[in-house]
Amino acid sequence: MSMEAKTQPMAQSSGLSLKELLRAARLPIAIVVVLILFGLVEPRVLSLGNFRNIALQASYLAIFAMAQTMVLLTRGFDLSLGYTVSLVSVAASMAMVAMGGGDASILYGVGAAVLIAGAIGLANGVLIAGIGINPLVTTLGMANMVLAFASTISGGFPVTGLPKGLTAEFAQGSPLSIPMPIWIAALAFLLLFLTLKATRFGRSLYIIGANPRAAVAAGIRTVPVLVLAYVLCALLAALGALLLTARTGSGEPNLGGNLTLEAIAAAVVGGVRLSGGEGGVGAAVLGALFVTVLSNGMNLVQIDGYLQQICLGVIIIVSLIVNRDEARR
Amino acid sequence: MSSETATMTVANAPSHRASRLDRFLMQGGIVITFLVVAVVATALIEPRFLNRLNLLNVMRNFALLLIPSLAQMLVMTAGGFDLSVGAVVAATSVVTAAVMLVGSGYFPGMELVVILASLVIALGAGALVGLVNAGLVATFSLSPFMVTLAMMSVLMGIALYFTQGIPIYGVADSFIANVGRGQFLSLPIVLWVGLAVLAACIVMQRFTALGRHIYAVGSDQRSARLSGVSTGRTLMVAYMLAGLLAALTGFLMTSRLGSGQSTIGGTLALETIAAAVIGGVSLRGGVGRAELVALAALFLSVIANAMNLVQVDSKYQTLVLGAVLIIALAIERLLLRKRQS
Repeated sequence: MSMEAKTQPMAQSSGLSLKELLRAARLPIAIVVVLILFGLVEPRVLSLGNFRNIALQASYLAIFAMAQTMVLLTRGFDLSLGYTVSLVSVAASMAMVAMGGGDASILYGVGAAVLIAGAIGLANGVLIAGIGINPLVTTLGMANMVLAFASTISGGFPVTGLPKGLTAEFAQGSPLSIPMPIWIAALAFLLLFLTLKATRFGRSLYIIGANPRAAVAAGIRTVPVLVLAYVLCALLAALGALLLTARTGSGEPNLGGNLTLEAIAAAVVGGVRLSGGEGGVGAAVLGALFVTVLSNGMNLVQIDGYLQQICLGVIIIVSLIVNRDEARR
Repeated sequence: MSSETATMTVANAPSHRASRLDRFLMQGGIVITFLVVAVVATALIEPRFLNRLNLLNVMRNFALLLIPSLAQMLVMTAGGFDLSVGAVVAATSVVTAAVMLVGSGYFPGMELVVILASLVIALGAGALVGLVNAGLVATFSLSPFMVTLAMMSVLMGIALYFTQGIPIYGVADSFIANVGRGQFLSLPIVLWVGLAVLAACIVMQRFTALGRHIYAVGSDQRSARLSGVSTGRTLMVAYMLAGLLAALTGFLMTSRLGSGQSTIGGTLALETIAAAVIGGVSLRGGVGRAELVALAALFLSVIANAMNLVQVDSKYQTLVLGAVLIIALAIERLLLRKRQS
């Protein structure tokens, strides 16, 4: 309903045809179609409980996709996102346990998460923007360094004995009967949406991505903007890591293994462009929702996990081809 | 201070100094320095490094990194990227072992035929993957990064689905004895294969039209097309050759491991990119030389061996690999910047 309301005035003012309208709304349509198709095979897919489940699952992925979007917009990349999640999960858990494991120690966990993610983001940003190393290789190298710490600081074992309040509030809590992670993802979305639309920093990200040279010519100080983008990306990854840690109830060194790929896939499927300057957090959220609906459906109709991996690859390629056509117009 | 006065008085000096720096960078000064330092340091810290058996081991590992690194180099010099290289190695390892297992049932006692058949089929599979990669990249002008990332997901899924992660045994014994453990002129067969591939790459890059076309397409697709180079076909060939070399790696790894394994190659994308980049291959395409990539692969094999010898936890080895990659690039960037100013 709100979707319609948003697109309608635009359609009138620029004279979009029905076909183009369908095109603009193709991802929401695809989500509905996928839901119905899986629902035909397995009616449980269309139950209210499952919708709630999908929204909950998608809220985690959406946070990571939004994180990735911050740097994708600038023609960047963050391949270290997944292992940052692992490291933050383990380190924040260790901090909480070390501070007694009471509910007050959650603050120390958050502090550790912010410090570590901030340092990783800062290092990425300085290497990429300050020294000028390719973002892909920088974050690939960073990913391996972070992985080494994530898999060793706790001896490679899960960290247990976390504060009860962490799981009770941030995973199982549901104010107004909406689960806490959905609230937090929604809040993050709102803040990022406003940041991208209404702040100098947000607009600078788009300009740098669309044309780095023009950005310099326009007087944008690209280095601090880019560094901030990578720090923001890492901090969002840390936020997601804390929420996932609350869900599992322990600090997990293997938490983020596939998240890098999934976050990039979600953003790209949503329409964030790898060549920079196009897309936004809305696209990231829609992409995350689509990927979640798909994997939720495949789980419920009991498709083998390895076949799901194949499907994910095919979906990425198909969405790249579909999104490309739009660019040509 | 003294260099400043020199530049003020002798107008020629800065360009002269820059050209020496240029030559240092162009001729692989960074990678050669890295390699020499690594070899000397390792030999001093751990004399067992120079042990004959250990050196043979280093050479085998070097060859198995060299071949996929050359694959990565081919694609990168053509302006592309191949994250699927490790997945191709895993998938073709499974294919090699599966063909041998099935083939030896149909043709008992004809091991050579079965081994050759498995090689041909594995290479064909690798070339097919390269063809699909290139087709998607060239036809739809998609990002090579995303295409090969998706391809990686697909291939890993296929390899794991058919094996469920369980190694495929039943590889021909003569295959393991003669290829994986075999020696010729007291050097491992695997090394000879690696050196042959290296020689072929050097000749291709320096003396053939294909080599020039790959550089041309990598540095500027549009001007390459305007000067009559078929960019689509060149990309196709580059990706197919990369797929072939990755498949050859899968075949050779199977002979070393004695089984087909769907779980190998996990870090190979990173390692080959590291070897290519440390060897001076540009991420923007158009620049890269096989011999320098070989030196970089040797360097990485030496430090991996050194860490094994001094018993560094394998988990910290990824730390060193990541750090080396970033440091090498940072040095290069800083030197380039110094040249520009």
